[in-house]
Amino acid sequence: MHDRKRNPFTKALVAAFITLGVLGMGSTPAKAGTTVWGADYFPKVTLIDQDGKPQRFFEDLIQDKVVAVNFIFTSCKDVCPLETARLREVQEILGDRLGKDIFFLSISIDPQRDTPEVLKAYAKRYQAGPGWTFLTGKMEDITQLRYKLGLLSLDSDPANLKGHSMSLIIGNQSSGQWMKRSPYENAHVLATQMGSWLSSWKLPSKPGLEYANAPKVRNLSLGENLFRTRCGACHTLGEEGGGAIAKQAIAPDLLNVTRTRDKVWLARWLTEPDKMLAERDPQALALQARYNNLVMPNLSLGQEDTHAVMAFLEEESQRVEQQRGQTAKVALVPCH
Amino acid sequence: MLKHLMRLGMVLVAGPLTSVASAQSTPLPPANQGAFQGGTTGTKTDAGVNNVLPPALQTSGGSFNIPTNSKPSPMFGAQSFVQQMLLFEEFGPEPLNPNGPAPSRSFPAPSAGSLPEQTPGTTAGSAPAGAALEAFLAQQGVAPYPTEYANTADLNPWKSQIESFLGRPLVNPPAEGRPAGSGWSHQRWNEFYPTVYFKTAQAGARVNGGFRDSHQMHKYQVGEFGPGGLYHNTAGIPATDGTTKGIAVRIHPSMPVQEHKSVWTFDGTVPPKLLMARYGQPVLMRHYNALPIDPSANRGFGLHTISTHEHNGHNPAESDGFTNAFFFPGQYYDYRWPMQLAGYDTINTSAAEAKAAFPAAPGEAIYVNDATPGQKTTTGSSIKIRGDWRETMSTHWFHDHMLDFTAQNVYKGNAAMMNYYSALDRGNEAIDDGVNLRLPSGTALPWGNRDYDINLLVADKAWDKDGQLWFNIFNTDGFLGDHLLTNWLYNPYFNVRARRYRFRILNGSVSRYLTLALVRQIQGNGGELQGPSGSGISYSRVPFHMVGNDGNLMEHTVPFDGIVDVAGDGKPQDRKGVLPEQGIAERYDIIVDFAKNGIKVGDKLYFVNILEHQDGKKPNRVVPLGDVLAEKYKPVLHTTNGVPDSWVGGDPAVGKFMELRVQAYAGNDKSMDPADYVNGKKTMIPLKFDRDSASAKAMLANARHHTFEFGRSDGTDEAPWTIKSDGGTGMNMDPRRTSAASELSTESTAAGYSGAGTLEIWKISNPSGGWAHPVHVHFEEGIILTRGGKTPPLWEKWARKDVYRVGPSADATSTVEMAIHFREFAGTYMEHCHNTQHEDHSMLLRWDISHPGQLQLMPAPLPTWEGVQFVDTTALPTMRTGDGFGPKP
Repeated sequence: MHDRKRNPFTKALVAAFITLGVLGMGSTPAKAGTTVWGADYFPKVTLIDQDGKPQRFFEDLIQDKVVAVNFIFTSCKDVCPLETARLREVQEILGDRLGKDIFFLSISIDPQRDTPEVLKAYAKRYQAGPGWTFLTGKMEDITQLRYKLGLLSLDSDPANLKGHSMSLIIGNQSSGQWMKRSPYENAHVLATQMGSWLSSWKLPSKPGLEYANAPKVRNLSLGENLFRTRCGACHTLGEEGGGAIAKQAIAPDLLNVTRTRDKVWLARWLTEPDKMLAERDPQALALQARYNNLVMPNLSLGQEDTHAVMAFLEEESQRVEQQRGQTAKVALVPCH
Repeated sequence: MLKHLMRLGMVLVAGPLTSVASAQSTPLPPANQGAFQGGTTGTKTDAGVNNVLPPALQTSGGSFNIPTNSKPSPMFGAQSFVQQMLLFEEFGPEPLNPNGPAPSRSFPAPSAGSLPEQTPGTTAGSAPAGAALEAFLAQQGVAPYPTEYANTADLNPWKSQIESFLGRPLVNPPAEGRPAGSGWSHQRWNEFYPTVYFKTAQAGARVNGGFRDSHQMHKYQVGEFGPGGLYHNTAGIPATDGTTKGIAVRIHPSMPVQEHKSVWTFDGTVPPKLLMARYGQPVLMRHYNALPIDPSANRGFGLHTISTHEHNGHNPAESDGFTNAFFFPGQYYDYRWPMQLAGYDTINTSAAEAKAAFPAAPGEAIYVNDATPGQKTTTGSSIKIRGDWRETMSTHWFHDHMLDFTAQNVYKGNAAMMNYYSALDRGNEAIDDGVNLRLPSGTALPWGNRDYDINLLVADKAWDKDGQLWFNIFNTDGFLGDHLLTNWLYNPYFNVRARRYRFRILNGSVSRYLTLALVRQIQGNGGELQGPSGSGISYSRVPFHMVGNDGNLMEHTVPFDGIVDVAGDGKPQDRKGVLPEQGIAERYDIIVDFAKNGIKVGDKLYFVNILEHQDGKKPNRVVPLGDVLAEKYKPVLHTTNGVPDSWVGGDPAVGKFMELRVQAYAGNDKSMDPADYVNGKKTMIPLKFDRDSASAKAMLANARHHTFEFGRSDGTDEAPWTIKSDGGTGMNMDPRRTSAASELSTESTAAGYSGAGTLEIWKISNPSGGWAHPVHVHFEEGIILTRGGKTPPLWEKWARKDVYRVGPSADATSTVEMAIHFREFAGTYMEHCHNTQHEDHSMLLRWDISHPGQLQLMPAPLPTWEGVQFVDTTALPTMRTGDGFGPKP
């Protein structure tokens, strides 16, 4: 009663509007104004992309673009693979807009080791598509960029790879809007922020879900929170089709994992996968080999976190199985 | 075990103590020219292209990186203590009348125009004409009329201008930005129906047209605001006698007027605004967004979508300013604040307690839901209302809470103060009804006198080569400005009478903590602290009493007189005339007697900040007051080739920032003597339990416990968690995730129910040594049980708090444990670090209160120009079936 229905009249109006064209309104879509965060703010540095081509940071990479910029190093075994995994999810949601009006830049803070060849292989492992550029360059240039983007404290050691900020900067250079975001962010929210907010809402919003019909949400458990903000960047849990297929190419589906794997082994794998790999645990090595040498990150989960995640995996697997069972039953008795 | 290792890791990583030490050991370069207080300073040619220093320069030679990553703000020759301070200007709510005539003017759209109030050649990057906005706001009545559910039937009046800018048609862009549907409808609308309202617009800086003159309770007619009174003239120049008309947004008379893209305030004007509201009378704020349609029309900072948070009001979630419930230019959002005492549903439900009351003039009436609900008329001085009088609050503020942009928007001017008036704290010092605490205020009006009750908004700012407000959005650890402004003015003076005053001091900074001292200047060297050598002046500290902490009157006043050991550290002398550390968003109410302690008419007193910062992570140290006054500690400009490029020798925001000039007082000071309310004497508003009593201990033993641990502001590989909750995960802000869901023990009830509500114990901890966090919990204030495991200092012991400082600074500890009580309203609230840069960078978490036996959690809204939507994703577990709450097709 209280929500606005989009009636046929409105649709007709919109159609008429589109037919007449925007220019018919007597004004052109506004070009973004001048911003103080222009060429004289960003360092004049040239980086090298994964194909070995030089790229000027301002002119070639960010000018008049909506971008996400983060700093990575490919040998990271801690949390930072999550940054890349999260961006991969956002890439999928943005679809063909990536490379057209939205661009990702992942810049190595370990340029000695991360040569263009290494970056190219890394990009392939994460199924990075066009519009997502991986960059290396001179250490001092990269350090200067980190300062300027507010991702490195003046009193931090740029060479301390492990102390690097995991945040990413998303922004629209021409409108001068820049935001610092976390890789734990929901990919859909990140995609909305880049695709709508930072793009000055130039594209029509997709026919959205009416808020008046929004469902009530139940409380999320600790384990579910963790799964959705952390594990879910790479792993599925019984989902099928669509984005799940791409995810399953980089990391295994976790349906029933608490039953198919030994629980003690699994708990340790969740808390210190890097150590298990270093110890050459055969199961760990096998997993890594199967998924293109993509590293299972150490997320610094505490004991309680690990237990919570495992409890959720167990519970959710049961629920999915049960639901599949019911669907199957319904399918068997269609006339009932 | 792992958890402990991890915590240890965080401490090791996060502590920048070594770097601080090395910065200090670097020898200071010779201090050559320039003066701290507005002397030799910059001109337009001083600053570089965009006022940003390269990193190499920022750390050189013991300089202070203040303003953060920038050059010193040029002073344009501005002198200290030559401009009169502006007092807050009241919004002045009016009765909300459904039968009143609708106003004729509609919300004016932006148009091209000339600077500073508009921009030529663009509509989307400009603002409504100042005169049109003034006329719109000035007219009586409100249209469309406020509704329980968001108004999505009427259209955004700026539709065509927005379409031109976007270059596409908009489908039914709604007039109101509030999410549609029952989830964001006003809870208990009829019960707390707003009987008064006011309109305001968030707008670019413009000259005040004076329409609020007639909305001031005093109307510039009575008391010190009347003709001949000390505050009749608002700006100290002939044109501002009894009016604010003609006042431009300008930091100092020597400086340029701020442009509409630089400063965005309530109404678009100064003085800063104040809402005076009364307990028992629900109030509605129609908040229009008159900011530029083009998001780049912001001089580099600030976002044009906003969400307004009434800091710690006992308000339902839809009016709490949830970070993701923001609204767009052209739209409005109706915030309805019930103004009820907490405990409304469970305590004093027959409204029998005289101390729980609406302060009123004889003949005034309000609706009271007591044992015989109905309209009640004042016969004495007040009308009794429901709820727990011990929950009475006094000094609030409201400000933007836009996801990721809070710091920028608040800094840019989205901050107003709000005084709650009650029978206990009514703003009249003469009424002697046995309830009124008679705080310094005045006597002309039955309530709401501000003659001797002064709101002070203290915040650090920086500006660019053009004198326009400046902010670095790319900072890492927090943002610091190089000058402390009071009520938006650089180093103002303020005339006071020789009598008692109340000051309501708000720290409105982004990342700066304050430690404020009050001193009297003495000719000759007879004072306890000497001025600069050869100056022939000295200073004495001026004792005062703290009466309110975080806007709540305390159980007892706390004397900062050098005698009472307020901190419990055996060093009371250190606290004489010096307030405790004040974190961002903290409010301290103090009473100063300008007729005591040797103060004479003609004396000059100064507020001095003595807390030094080197970066936005934490305050660095308290500078000895004597060193500041003697100018042994003296920040000076360092210049290269004659151009100032950095501050050296100190933090430029340390020093005197406001002068008080004592004038004769012919009246009779009838206000309470705060010395009568110290520990062991009378009480003001007692805490609802005595933390040391057996009964409280028994009650607390049964309360649910939550732990929230705050780390650094960004996750790193080694320390990926910024906030950890209940010993488990660190959680960043995903506006759709809930971290603590507390269930209300009772649903809203008819009068007569009694019960305890839901009491919980929250432990807030920050074990990392390198970061200071002022943590703010929305909705309810808490009683600190222990600070650092011990009884808190007196100013917290007698207080109810909504900001909890945790971290390495002088008056903080790494942990605080507090008791907090949830009642009356449900929905989505937040808890976060109020260093707003930290908050924007994800130190924000969401928590919800659900109704008993019913799930009331809503998926967070995703507002667009065309209305509010939500996304259906895996993070929003709507895929579940069988729980009865699935999405409707």
